[in-house]
Amino acid sequence: MTTAPVPETRRREIDAQVGLVIFLGATAMLFAALLLAYAIVRSEAPRWPPAGAPPFPRGAAAANTLALVAASLALRRGWARAAFAFGAAFLAAQALLWRHLVSIHLGPAAGALGEVFFALSALHALHVLGGLFALALTGARRLRLLAIYWDFVLVVWVVVYVAVCLL
Amino acid sequence: MTAEVEASDAQADEIPPAPKGFLRRFVFSIDHKVIGRQFLFLGLGFLAIGGVMAMLIRWQLARPGAPVPLVGKLLFGPAGGVISPAAYTALFTMHGTIMIFFAVTPVLIGGFGNFLLPLMLGARDMAFPRLNMASFWTMFAATAVLTASFFVPLGPPEAGWTAYATLSTAIGAPGPGQTLWVVAIYLNGASSVMGAVNYITTVLRMRAPGMTYLRMPLTVWGFFLTSILNALFVPVLAAAMVLLFFDRVLGTQFFIAGTTPGAGGDPILYQHLFWLFGHPEVYILILPAWGIVGDLLAFFARKPVFGYRVTVGSLIGVVVLSTVVYGHHMFTTGMSPLLGESFMLLTMIISVPTSLLVLSWLGTLWRGAIRTATPMLFCLGMVFTFGVGGLTGLYLADITADMYLHDTYFVVGHFHLIMASALLMSLFAAVYFWFPKMFGRMMNEGLGKLHFWLTFVPLNLVFMGQLVIGYEGMQRRLYDPSVYDFLKPLLPLNRGISHAAYLLGAAQFIFVLNFFWSLAAGARAATNPWEVGTLEWTVASPPPHHNFDRIPIVVRGPHELSHPAARLLGRDWLGQAEVIEPAPAPSEPAGPAPAPGEPA
Amino acid sequence: MHIVLPRDASLDGHLVDGAIGYLTLTTGIAFAAALGFLLAALIFHRARAGRTRGHHTHGIRSRDRALMFTVALVMFVAIDVTLALRTSRDLETRFWRYPDADPTALRVEVTARQWAWTFRTAGPDGRFGTADDVVTLNELDIPVGRPVYLKLRSRDVVHSLYLPNFRTKIDAIPGMTTRLWFQATETGRFEIACAQFCGVSHYKMGGLLIARPEPDYREWLARAETDSRLRYDQATATGAWDWETGK
Repeated sequence: MTTAPVPETRRREIDAQVGLVIFLGATAMLFAALLLAYAIVRSEAPRWPPAGAPPFPRGAAAANTLALVAASLALRRGWARAAFAFGAAFLAAQALLWRHLVSIHLGPAAGALGEVFFALSALHALHVLGGLFALALTGARRLRLLAIYWDFVLVVWVVVYVAVCLL
Repeated sequence: MTAEVEASDAQADEIPPAPKGFLRRFVFSIDHKVIGRQFLFLGLGFLAIGGVMAMLIRWQLARPGAPVPLVGKLLFGPAGGVISPAAYTALFTMHGTIMIFFAVTPVLIGGFGNFLLPLMLGARDMAFPRLNMASFWTMFAATAVLTASFFVPLGPPEAGWTAYATLSTAIGAPGPGQTLWVVAIYLNGASSVMGAVNYITTVLRMRAPGMTYLRMPLTVWGFFLTSILNALFVPVLAAAMVLLFFDRVLGTQFFIAGTTPGAGGDPILYQHLFWLFGHPEVYILILPAWGIVGDLLAFFARKPVFGYRVTVGSLIGVVVLSTVVYGHHMFTTGMSPLLGESFMLLTMIISVPTSLLVLSWLGTLWRGAIRTATPMLFCLGMVFTFGVGGLTGLYLADITADMYLHDTYFVVGHFHLIMASALLMSLFAAVYFWFPKMFGRMMNEGLGKLHFWLTFVPLNLVFMGQLVIGYEGMQRRLYDPSVYDFLKPLLPLNRGISHAAYLLGAAQFIFVLNFFWSLAAGARAATNPWEVGTLEWTVASPPPHHNFDRIPIVVRGPHELSHPAARLLGRDWLGQAEVIEPAPAPSEPAGPAPAPGEPA
Repeated sequence: MHIVLPRDASLDGHLVDGAIGYLTLTTGIAFAAALGFLLAALIFHRARAGRTRGHHTHGIRSRDRALMFTVALVMFVAIDVTLALRTSRDLETRFWRYPDADPTALRVEVTARQWAWTFRTAGPDGRFGTADDVVTLNELDIPVGRPVYLKLRSRDVVHSLYLPNFRTKIDAIPGMTTRLWFQATETGRFEIACAQFCGVSHYKMGGLLIARPEPDYREWLARAETDSRLRYDQATATGAWDWETGK
């Protein structure tokens, strides 16, 4: 609890889980607000997808999902380093996706679809990055907590993907 | 009771060693008491800065275009000591931003929340002490970014604390100042969310054995409920800030509409996101005050809270309702009638739990034995001002009246009566009340009472005066009202308000004097100078690093004052963890009575 | 000190003044009662020589609760419910019942920009976008005695058209068209102001509303549209502002 070395008691583990759940609740509200913004942008657009927007590369975006699934699965098996690698791979893949989107005029400055996808995926990516930091700093000691976090990150990505790319 | 003792073994058995070294003890400390004091000083510092800005705003309204005396040449040199329209907009923008995010939030929630929560709950520290420290330094970083915004090209942010789009986008506010503001608000919000995670977990998990939810002091309820709102709605502000940041920096057009070609954004989207946060925010700010005043009125009336459960229920009711009323800030944006009337009705419904709160306060005072020490005076002042301020909210809830009063000084008077007057007086009540526990010394009572009267009277004059000015039609955020004929007759009233404001500002020096003099040379504080039963008053003033030698076991509520059993002990209060031996049978000699403050 | 509202020159402004007045009366009574109670407690229940203990009650008897809830509900019904019913009726029958189908309503297109107001009326032919449209800067000319129906747009940031003497205001928001209607009952020159902070010169974004008797208004309009005809350019006439759809 403070500077004295304390064994990780069950009680402390539950404290951390409670704290994590509250934090995830707050994060869920952030994404809920962004999704609300998306809903309003979409409802006010004359048509959706917006006129002139190129088709969204759904396949590429879907493929990135696999990296997150792999990260979650790896954590469940206790493979922290593999999870880190998969998480980092996801971020790299997202970066490539963004570059591609900018080149086909679906970047953040290129209209409603581009900006919505970018805002949601960029905030999501920041949370993935945070997850990587947490993995690096606490690694094997907090596997259960990290697993919950990475599952959450995966769920958010799926929701974003479905809402923006499929619906 | 044995099971309860065992349940607390994890906390009771380990008394962690105190940290050593200046940095670990005073700068990068994970002790909630140190962090609480850090937040307190940071917030009080910004309270002073925000207050100076208010004085400057009032100067301009009293004497439009006149050079500011004393500091004018220093602050507004290029303009010859005169506040220019641009400087004026920066002043009211930063005044609002600082007061809400960098004064009240750090003092009440960061400062008192941190210091008191573990002590009141009977814990050694917060659930996550290192997260706590991170929360303070994130707040500090936010202040650095905000300060930087004053010194960048094209100047400080000038879009109001509400930063409506499109004025806050590159259309209305080119330049890095507004962008830095967005970042500062985001960091401030991050600090709040960290704190919320900590406070909620601490209340849920770290209450001492026997401390049921309904035995928690109302102060704890205030911080707990505020943290729930913080956790849920600061992220919505974060979303608004993120999208605004993208609009400013990355060329997105979430909020940009108008003449920009192809612009398909919607400024109203910003307002929805902002006020979805903004309305809960005002309750985030007032909930700790309601909790503190609820407790202190009981303490100084020497009787329990009148209707503790009704009070807690009302606080929760307000929290729930606060999430669905935000549209009353947007009545003049042309919303659909159904939406408008729904928001009107819901806003009016909030007045029910709020009036129950006030009735509880009145019931607590009635038939008490009221001690008018300085903290109590500020609480009574708070009740008065909150009464007026709360009732003026009804005018703005009603759409018919709001069509005229929206964006006038009536709104400014309304929210300042609550934010600046009720909230500020609760803040002072908290300082005067817990100063002995925080710093181990007593503040000077005479100076405290003087500070109260010289604050309470001008506060009411200033903000009720603003109600009048708004009623007579003056819009807010106006650099020079004399531009309008219908506002010219209001100059004497504006001047009167400003004079009251100067008096208010000057009176705060009494507080500053009292505060720092008492820090250095005030009378040493006893363990329980106010003779009340909550757990923080069972430990030394100031508390040792580990708070409690033994984790207390709570046996009663926090407001057992004038309890009949206390009479037997020669006083009029019972501690929350105080076990009373049953009166001995007549044939046995009675044991020695425990000293006040010691559990039996 | 004379505390007065601006002169009310409007048909429906009295509803606003009535709401404000009702609120002041009822909240005043409630506040006076609460204050009286507070002062009585402070006077009679202060700690002193003979009074060192408070009455030890938690206020949880059914009598206590009944009292609290009754007071709160009475206030709610007397103040909030009464007002809400009145306001709903006023909104539905007056303020938010726009004169789309009223041929006598004067239609005005208002453009707000940093930092001025332009007003365009359709001129004697009643059609926008024709040579006899009248455009005025920072001045709204209207006849007394018939509805004035404004639609507002903004070219840059959010502004708000505020008519203190008509007890009303409406925001002008980029990307949308908002609307407002009112009717003058008195002639005179009244001030217009911007009520939504819109930048450094927000405080100067005022104007004048001139209400004339109908014959005088027509005379003014005839003069004004003569000037407009001289300056009319088909190529720059703007498009329709949704008058037909009634939005």
